[in-house]
Order: sequence, then structure tokens, then C-alpha cells
Amino acid sequence: MKKVSLFIPCTVDIILPEIGEETTYLLERLGVSPIYHEKQTCCGQPAINAGYVDEAKKSAKHFIEVFGDDEVVVSPSGSCLHTAKYRYPELLSDEPVWLRRAEELSSRLFELSQYIVDVLGVEDVGASFEGTVTYHESCQILRGLGVSEQPKKLITAVNGAEFVPLNSADKCCGFGGEFANNYPDISEEMVKDKVQNYIASGADLLVLCEPGCLLNINGYLSRNHPEKKALHIATLLADTGREVRL
Amino acid sequence: MKIKTEQFVEVARREMADLNSRAFLQLLPPVIAAMRKAAMATFPDPDAATEYSRAIRAEVVARLPELLEEFEANAIARGVKVIWARDAEEANDFILNLALKRGIKYVTKGKSMVSEELGTNDVLIKNGIEAFETDLGEFIAQQLNRPPFHIVGPAVNVSVQEICDLFMEKAGMEEATTDPVELGYAARVYLRDKFHHLEMGITGVNMAVAETGSIINVENEGNIRLTKSSPRVQVSVMSLEKVVPTMRDAIHVLRLLCRNCTGQSISSYVSIDTGPKKDDEIDGPEELYIVIVDNGRSDLYGDVKAREALRCIRCGACLNHCPVYATIGGYPYGWAYSGPMGQVLNPLLLGLDRTQDLYRACTLCGACKEVCPSGIDHPSMFLYYRSKDVKGDSKLKGKKRDWKEVGIFKIFTLASTLPWLWNLGARLIRPFYNRNAKNGVVSHISGLFEGWFRKRDLPAMPAKTFHERWKDIEKRLS
Amino acid sequence: MVRNARDEILGKLRAVHRADVPQRPEVPSLNETAFDREEMIAKFTEALFLQTGVVHRVKDNQEALDKLAEIAKEEKLEKVMASTDDVIAPLDLPSWGKENGIQILTAGDFKDRNSFKDAVFDEVNAGITGANFAVAESGTLGLIHDRDQARLISLAPILHIAIVPTERFVPIYESAIEKVFEDINAVPGQFTFITGPSMTADIQATIFRGMHGPRKLIVILTG
Repeated sequence: MKKVSLFIPCTVDIILPEIGEETTYLLERLGVSPIYHEKQTCCGQPAINAGYVDEAKKSAKHFIEVFGDDEVVVSPSGSCLHTAKYRYPELLSDEPVWLRRAEELSSRLFELSQYIVDVLGVEDVGASFEGTVTYHESCQILRGLGVSEQPKKLITAVNGAEFVPLNSADKCCGFGGEFANNYPDISEEMVKDKVQNYIASGADLLVLCEPGCLLNINGYLSRNHPEKKALHIATLLADTGREVRL
Repeated sequence: MKIKTEQFVEVARREMADLNSRAFLQLLPPVIAAMRKAAMATFPDPDAATEYSRAIRAEVVARLPELLEEFEANAIARGVKVIWARDAEEANDFILNLALKRGIKYVTKGKSMVSEELGTNDVLIKNGIEAFETDLGEFIAQQLNRPPFHIVGPAVNVSVQEICDLFMEKAGMEEATTDPVELGYAARVYLRDKFHHLEMGITGVNMAVAETGSIINVENEGNIRLTKSSPRVQVSVMSLEKVVPTMRDAIHVLRLLCRNCTGQSISSYVSIDTGPKKDDEIDGPEELYIVIVDNGRSDLYGDVKAREALRCIRCGACLNHCPVYATIGGYPYGWAYSGPMGQVLNPLLLGLDRTQDLYRACTLCGACKEVCPSGIDHPSMFLYYRSKDVKGDSKLKGKKRDWKEVGIFKIFTLASTLPWLWNLGARLIRPFYNRNAKNGVVSHISGLFEGWFRKRDLPAMPAKTFHERWKDIEKRLS
Repeated sequence: MVRNARDEILGKLRAVHRADVPQRPEVPSLNETAFDREEMIAKFTEALFLQTGVVHRVKDNQEALDKLAEIAKEEKLEKVMASTDDVIAPLDLPSWGKENGIQILTAGDFKDRNSFKDAVFDEVNAGITGANFAVAESGTLGLIHDRDQARLISLAPILHIAIVPTERFVPIYESAIEKVFEDINAVPGQFTFITGPSMTADIQATIFRGMHGPRKLIVILTG
């Protein structure tokens, strides 16, 4: 069986581990053998985004050491994957050996929906959901990785699910890591706008592929519209019947 | 122009509460973005056309000194007087002294962002020479003493009632009206007199063509053509980076500029000046001065990353696609340049220390980079500034961060390189993090993420991290 | 002082190692480059119509003058500033003006700039010019300004009427620019692309035509 190395980002590891579990079961159900390097920690995105490049380099090198020999690495996070794929070479541009390793590794990194559709060639993963579903295009996944059709195909193939469009689906939800906490006035307006579009879409469910966006949107929904929820695509597709609290 | 970049947060807060501005921001950027898309579709291959424009602008920055020399030589050969100005003082001194020498009582100004950067109007006015902004939006913003709200529509958010009051007080309008067309006509009447008797006009420059020594101005209103055609003296001010290699390059960039700026294929008027008027012409400038302004740009030219900012052609597409700009409008950016391009340029010209919010108040969503016809990678620029700020880079005037923030990142990084510390850290944080948890939801944690918790919850940390669950998961897998 | 500024600025720029110039991608030609004349005229007309320009097509100079008379009546023209370029001069507008009760002024009638400006800003209700080019891609006129084509004629009056022989049609801007800049010693002081009337949307994004320049542009194509 094909081995696939799981890259579980720190948000999932610490706050949303169920998404990691769902990713694992989903991949297994699709016929691959997930492995998990327990030495993995954090890709360094928070440090990069805040400008701490010396620190970020350390995290990057650790990441490259952990995943460097894997044939395929799959992650339920697009922003962390984007960091490892595209920011690492920038970060390590002055260290030729590490740069080469980073560049080499980047072609073996996949976001979850991208892996399922493009590599496994699967759209119907055997999941069910009765109702209308809409999709938020996370910035790092859409513009960073160029991944957009894949999640939508997966959603559309879910048994009983009807895909409905989301207005301004590609507009940023206002997370941006430290931005959400450092510029709350602006971030709140942006997530409010995203949620208003979600409600206006009439969809029963909002699905996305990025844990950061998920925390942001669900965090706002929990406080302001508790009757509505957003789900990570792994949760939808794993379809384990888990009750999602937040 | 007064620098208010350090008031970003409070001005943003004020603007987000301004219903008029919010109404515009919901309406205008998406409309221009849609028009842009339609206009770009007139190219058989819009992506190739954008890439070509990006290549031209990258070439301009790579060849800047030789292109400026070529431009100067060709302009001088055509009778232009080329003036170099290291800073605002030199540029303004030249313009003022020229005006005084020629006995100028007032000037009209075509829209020129670099002249706002230099504060030219203030210098003239202080010395008894009136300076009338003539672009309608700039005219209104000037009369209200406000910075531009948007590159293309500097006063588009101002209410008609306010404009009516303003025109009655300052623009000789006699009958009250809130009809935008009638208000526009009132401005036409008031400013027409100024154009008619004009002796010296000041414009910006959209493009300076090295191959021919020509300058190009793009407009819809006609105020720039009037400012150039009516007076005997024309002064056109450009920052270094406005040069392009050839006329063909200029035409290609022109197409991208107009489509990105207003969603038009081309603006109503494009005027190309190559030297002053000929002897037998009855209008047009007898004297044409082109002022090439540095104002800190040559200092950052040695920084190959930072100088990417010099590619900008001031089209404003980034403003129209930025979700932050769409929420706060132009005022919070606090200086001549707003939106993502202001976030890219202002820190370089003013220092990272005075502009921290400008390069930190960005989610790095990349919508700007995607549309930029000059190929600027805004998110990457902001990350660069942030890193220079953390390091306290002296050239860019990085401020360094406070010890608490530095400490957090050092600890977090250490934990990221030592898995045992990582897992221990998660275990130690959990009880503190979950102290106020109710039904799996955390609504506040004292001293942590206060900005977040104002309007958002977080999930409680589950009993086990993914790390801690793996052994069991592995067992359950076939 | 000024000389030092130049050397200092250029010195700093030149001191930096020159970066590589990126390769330019292939860009397919605009569709208009394959148009024949009738297609160019159709495209021009459609594009200019969208900018509220009005386009009339006539057979020859005589019909152009007849059309002009119609327009003069509609627009209640009394005094007009006309250029003396190679399209307008052969029309003998002064005679036409006499026949139609319209006073025709030209730049040559004025001894100096100021008296010319007084007339073109305050006295005339239209400017009539020819054009050197009609660019199909966007309904754009190209005007070379010189002694016979003063700049303010197509700019200051509230109405601009342009008469353009259809031989002057070109598909894209480059076709015009190539000709204008062919001989660097014979380049005009100003060359202008005009696409529709003057306009703004600066007040509440409401479109207003005739901001500082003409409110209306009428183009008469001959031939």
C-alpha cells in the first residue's frame, strides 16, 4: 500500500486534533497507508509572518529533517503547506544546501483535497450529507497553491449534498494569523462579512480546507450565530458522524 | 503631506463607523474589479499581456540609471529642461523659484501623487502662490483639507451635501444642489477661469519614455491637457521610477494601466509631450520642465528586494482587490499613497518605524499580487519589512519588537525543534488555556488573545493532542 | 546645485550591480490587427458609442459639410473655432460658415495666445478639427498638434466635432505611434489620443460628462 506521510499542523495538533484523525481515516479508507512522524512540530509560519526569520529558519530545518525522506507528504492545512512549499526556499536562499533540500521537498508536499483528486484520482470518497453545502476559498489554498476545483469536486460528489455558490468566496475571511488578534477591529469586520455571505447563500453548511479560517469563522459563528457551523473538508469527507462543537 | 501613518488603528476605527465610506467601499471596488476583468478580456491572452507588462516594469527597475540617462538626453535634445531633485526641498525650491521668477500668481495642478509626497502645494501657498487642484476629486479633497480616499476617486466617499456646502462657500456656486452632475458643472465653471488665464501649470507624469524623451499623461477630465496647453510654462514632476524603455513599451503599459485603474480600455485623454511647443504654435508650453525626483529612492536601490516597490505604476488595482482596504478606505494609510501599494511604498520612504501598522495590517491574502500589472509581490514585501523591523535594520529604520513578543517566538521556536518540549508545552498550557472553558468553548483567557476574544470564541483544547492520540490511531488502522 | 543632484542620484543608482533583465513572454497580437477597413470602422463606432461619442458616416467632403450644417442647427452653433489642418482646410469652412450663419474662427485670426484663449474658452460653442488617425481598438482619435492643430480647439469648447477620412483608420495605437515617432527630428510637441468626451465619476461615482473638456464628441467619417 502506498505510504503517505501526514503533516499535521500545530493548530490541528493542539486545538483540532479530530481533523487530524479524520484525515487519517479518510486516507486509509482511500487505500493509502498513513504514517505520522511524531517528531513533527510546527512549520514556522507564525514566526515567518511576524518577521522572525532566524527563528523560522530553525523550525524550517527541523521540518525538512522530519519530512525530507518522505515520498509524499499530505496535510489538512493549506497555509502551512504553502509556507513549506514556497516560503522555505525564500527563507533558506542564503544557505545553498538547505535551499536545495527545501526545493526538492516542495514537489512532494500536497494539500489534502489536492492529493485526493489530483494524485489518487478520486472524487467520490463514499461520504454522505443531506443538504446544501458551500465553500470558502482560503487565500493560501486558492492563490497560494492554486487549489480550487479539487475541494469543490469532492464536495459535489458527496452523496445527498448539493453545492451552492458563496458570494465573494475568494475574499479573505480576516484571519491572517497574528492579524486577527492584532487588528481585531478590521478582522472582525472581515469575518462578519464572510459570515453574512455564508448566511445569504442559504447553505446548510460551509466547508473549507484551512484550519486557520475554520477557527476564525467558527469562532465568530459560535459567539454571534451559534446555530450555524463551518466544517473542515476532512470532517465532511470522513463522515464519522462526529458532533462538531466548534 | 502630513504624515499620519501612526494613527492607522484609530483612523481605521473611525472610518469603519462611517456609513458613507462603507457604502462606497461595498460598491466601488467590486464594480471596478468587474470592469477590469471585462476590459482585460479584450486581450486574446490576458495573462500573457499582464506578464509582459510585469517584465517591462522589472526591466525598468533593473536598468533604471541607464534609462533615466537615455530619457534625459532625448528630452534635452527636444528642448526640455530636465531638473534633478534629491529631495522635496530641492524639488519645491525649483518650482517655487521658477514661479516667482515668472511672476506667477497661481498654478493649476494635474493630479500628481508625487507632488503630494513632496508637499509642493503647501510651499507655493506659503509663498503667496495659489495652487488649484483641478482633478475634481483632488479639488474637493483639497478644499476639505483631506487626504485622498482612493487613488482614482480621491473624494468619491464625500457626501453630495458636503460638496454642495463646500462649493457654495469656496467655489462660487450660487444655488444649492445635491445633484452630482450640477455639482460637477459648478466645479467646471469655477476652475475654467483658472485654466483660461493660466501662466504656469504643474502636472505629474504617468510614464516617461526613454527612447524619445517624451512624457505621457492619462486622464478622463481634461484638466491635465488644459494645464499643459494653456500656460506658457509647464512643469511636470516625476519620481524616478516612472521611466519606461520604449514607446511601444509605454503603449503596452498604457493598456494595462487604464484597465487596472478604472476598468476602461483607455482613458478619455492620453497626451504625449515631446519637448515644448514649436515656434509657430499658438498654445502649448514655451518652456517645458521635467523634474525628476529621488526623495529616498536611490538610497533603497541597492536593496534588490525593497526596490521591487519601484515597479509600481500607480494603477490602484491593488486597492480595488484588497479586503482590508475594502473595509477601511484610504484615510488610515496616512500619507500620499494608500492601499497595498501604499503599504509597500510608504515604509520605504518614511521608515519602518513610523509605518509598522502599514506592513503588519495585512492577512497576506495575495489578492493584490494576483492582479498587479507590475509584478509586485506585496505579501513577500511585507514579510521582508517585518523581518527587517524585527532585526532593527538601521537602513530601513526597523524598530525591533518588545521583549515579550521576542521571548514568545524564541520559546515557541525552541519547542518546534524539540518534540519532547513541544508535547510538554501543550500539556502545561492546557489547564491554563481551558480555565474558563464551558461546553468545549473558550470565550476568554486572561491576558491572552484579547483582540480575538472580543467577538470570537475558540475551541477548548481537547484532552489529547494529535501527538498524544497517534499511538491509539495507529492501532485502530488496519 | 542642480548638477550635483543629477550626479549624486545617478551615481547612487549606477553604484549598484545591474540586475538581470527578465525575458519577455510572447503576447498574441490584438484581434484588431487582422481587421479590414470596414471592420475597423465598425469596431471604432461601437467602442466610441459606448463612450457616448456620436459617429456619422458620409461619402465625401460635401456630405460632411451638409452633416455639419445639420449638427450646427441641432446644437445651435453660432461661433466655432476650427483648426486649419489638412482635413479641415480643404473644406473651406469660412465659406460654409457664411452660408450657414456661423462665424468660423481659426488660430491664425489671433495675434497672440491670450486673445486666442479668450475666444476658445469664452466665445465659441464648438471646436472643429480633423484627426490624423482613427484607432479601431477603442474608438480613439489621434491628433498631432502643430500650428494648424492648436491644442485647445479639441479641448476647451463644450462640443468637439472631428472630421476624419476613413483612409486614416488604423487598427491599434502602435500603428499611429510608429508614424508619429518615425522621424525623431519631426516629432510634434504634443500628440493626443482622444476617446469620447471629457468625463468624471469623482462625485459619488456618478458619471458626469463635460468635466473640463467637451461634453460631447461628434465624429464625421468621410469616404
